[in-house]
Amino acid sequence: MTITDLVAPEAILSSLKVNAKKQVLQEIAARAAELTGLNERSIFEVLLQRERLGTTAVGYGIAIPHGKLPKLDRMFGLFARLDRPVDFEAMDGQPVDLVFLLLAPEGAGADHLKALARVARLLRDQEIAKKLRASRDAQAIYAVLALPSATAA
Amino acid sequence: MALLDSVSIAILLGAILVLAGILSSLVALRFGAPLLLVFLFLGMLAGENGPGGLRFNDVHSTYLVGSVALALILFDGGLRTRFQSIRAVLAPAASLATIGVLVTALITAPVARYMLGIGWTESLLIGAVVASTDAAAVFLLVHARGLRLRPRVGATLEVESGTNDPLAVFLTLVLVELLMRGESSIGHVLVQFARESVLGTIIGVAGGRIVVMALNRVALPQGLHAPFVTTSALVVFGLAQVFHASGFLAVYLAGIVIGNRPTRAHNTVVVFLDAATWLAQIVMFVLLGLLVWPARLADSLWPSLAVAAVLMLIARPVAVFLCLSPFRFPLREKLFISWVGLRGAVGIFLASIPLLVGLPNAHLYFDIAFVVVIVSLLVQGWTLAPSARRLHVALPRADRPPQRVELDLPGQLQQQLVGYTVRSNSLFLKRKVIPSWSKPTLVIRNERILAAAEADPVEAGDYIYLLAPPEKAQALDRFFADMPPQPPPDSRLLGDFFLAGDVTLGALADIYGVTVEESERALSLSDYFDVHLDHPPRPGDALPLGDIRLVAHRIGGGRVNVVALRLDEEEVAAAPRSRGEAVRAALRRVWAGLTG
Repeated sequence: MTITDLVAPEAILSSLKVNAKKQVLQEIAARAAELTGLNERSIFEVLLQRERLGTTAVGYGIAIPHGKLPKLDRMFGLFARLDRPVDFEAMDGQPVDLVFLLLAPEGAGADHLKALARVARLLRDQEIAKKLRASRDAQAIYAVLALPSATAA
Repeated sequence: MALLDSVSIAILLGAILVLAGILSSLVALRFGAPLLLVFLFLGMLAGENGPGGLRFNDVHSTYLVGSVALALILFDGGLRTRFQSIRAVLAPAASLATIGVLVTALITAPVARYMLGIGWTESLLIGAVVASTDAAAVFLLVHARGLRLRPRVGATLEVESGTNDPLAVFLTLVLVELLMRGESSIGHVLVQFARESVLGTIIGVAGGRIVVMALNRVALPQGLHAPFVTTSALVVFGLAQVFHASGFLAVYLAGIVIGNRPTRAHNTVVVFLDAATWLAQIVMFVLLGLLVWPARLADSLWPSLAVAAVLMLIARPVAVFLCLSPFRFPLREKLFISWVGLRGAVGIFLASIPLLVGLPNAHLYFDIAFVVVIVSLLVQGWTLAPSARRLHVALPRADRPPQRVELDLPGQLQQQLVGYTVRSNSLFLKRKVIPSWSKPTLVIRNERILAAAEADPVEAGDYIYLLAPPEKAQALDRFFADMPPQPPPDSRLLGDFFLAGDVTLGALADIYGVTVEESERALSLSDYFDVHLDHPPRPGDALPLGDIRLVAHRIGGGRVNVVALRLDEEEVAAAPRSRGEAVRAALRRVWAGLTG
């Protein structure tokens, strides 16, 4: 499985205009709802519920909000680059500008964890993060996500 | 003329006493003695048995001053309480403030009866008088220098002390009435209690709302806002009392309502009340100290000490453990809450009611309450900070918030001006970020005032003023705190998710599909570390949980506060970082190729 198996080209937002963490979650939930046909509210609730346990910001300006949805039929990923960084309550205090949403079906179990680990590993790569920040549009971002270094390992 | 002279002398002596109280705070802070105790002793020193030799036995004025002072203290306490922070502790605090008070009074009473050989009603009266924790003492001592309690513990104690006075006042009044009249029916008592609390709540909440509305609608001259709010609080108190509702409950609730709504001049009101509360505390404690007759205390010293000991060591702990049992507090937090059953002016104040109405043996109640309060302040007050550290309920002092200046902007309520000194190691200076809801407006550099645009870039040592919504101002602190230079984040930690220590294993299992034993679902992550580590946790300690690993990330007060969630170690290790690892990984692949 590669990252581009998780993210479709239309699930990339190249410059999301948001002011706060909650708004980020709202916007990506709305877009995810459009693409999956699921209820926007329930996606947002699932993400919010996870954030209540602790932030999904992993440091260096990256956040990976995630959660499980019973009605989903397959793993769903969405990538958003924020127009300007917002505070995400990250442990390193850095505001977040790269957001990867990962939704898993109920019962995905180990696959969910593997996919999360894969996304985290990809974004932790400073070179990749730099390229993602420098990419001009959604197409360029998709190309970075599809790079061999991103899909290998 | 002699009358005028005596008034002048009373003013002079009174002012000197209060001044002495204010100055003695310096001494008290140096020695760490509970301030309230110092005020009390000052009153005793000035009194008829002390070197001061002042004769004072005006119970009536003491009761009046005490009522006003307590009302102000409770109002101030409510005003400072963020509803957000107390929502989580409403249930435990309410249980402590009702059942807790009853249980405490019931357990204390038999001791008083046995030691003093008095009737049941009288001994219950003693129990009721000392049953409530004191808001003034708790607010003051819990916020003493350098001490920061775990939020849940601190909030529980504060809300409890703010809300348990009404019940203690009520019990005292009922018992006094019983002793005066001879009899009363249970039904009558219950109706009376319901009336006190329900009416008190209604008057408090409604009064608070009316004050907020008036404050925001009526254009008062500058400087009158704070006195307006303060006297309104006293009106709420008085009104409730006149209708035989609980004025103490009403005024505390009014404070919470006013403090949690946007109002004009909020900051000046808080500053004004801060001063008023200090003054009220000093005056009240000095007066109570004056009123007592220290030589007489010796007569009932042993019974008093016995009551104090039972109260502190048995009644309070039993009440706390009983009331908190449904609410999953760790043992050490319960122990701490038991220990911080600080008694204070409320007890002495309540004990002055029998004096006021001229009950037989009235001085006995007063003397016992007085000794109990002194013992409580002396023993519990003095050991509060060390025991908080011993029981790991204190937070480290390191992360002190930066000094923040808040200025109201007349004409609207949505924004206020917040000022900070820009420090070289602040997040603001390092990363040039601030939340989008705040807007830099002024910069003061070398005593010159610059517009934000002129001052760009802001330098260390500048003073910066930002527009921000009042309720969010506190969140700005993080951006201006002087952070110690941080070591670069551990690369192993990057990519981890973080979880708060109070998340339960069950919640984790539901989200990540890891298997957790049914019996362990209710455990919090902190508990999990407590249970499965055989040593105090250190950062980096790891425990497996199904397919994931939990890594202790931040430790506070001997417990794991923040946990890093590490996914799928195996795969992460497969991304080679060092040459040795690369070789090993290559060998593994070869081996896998040969065997597979």
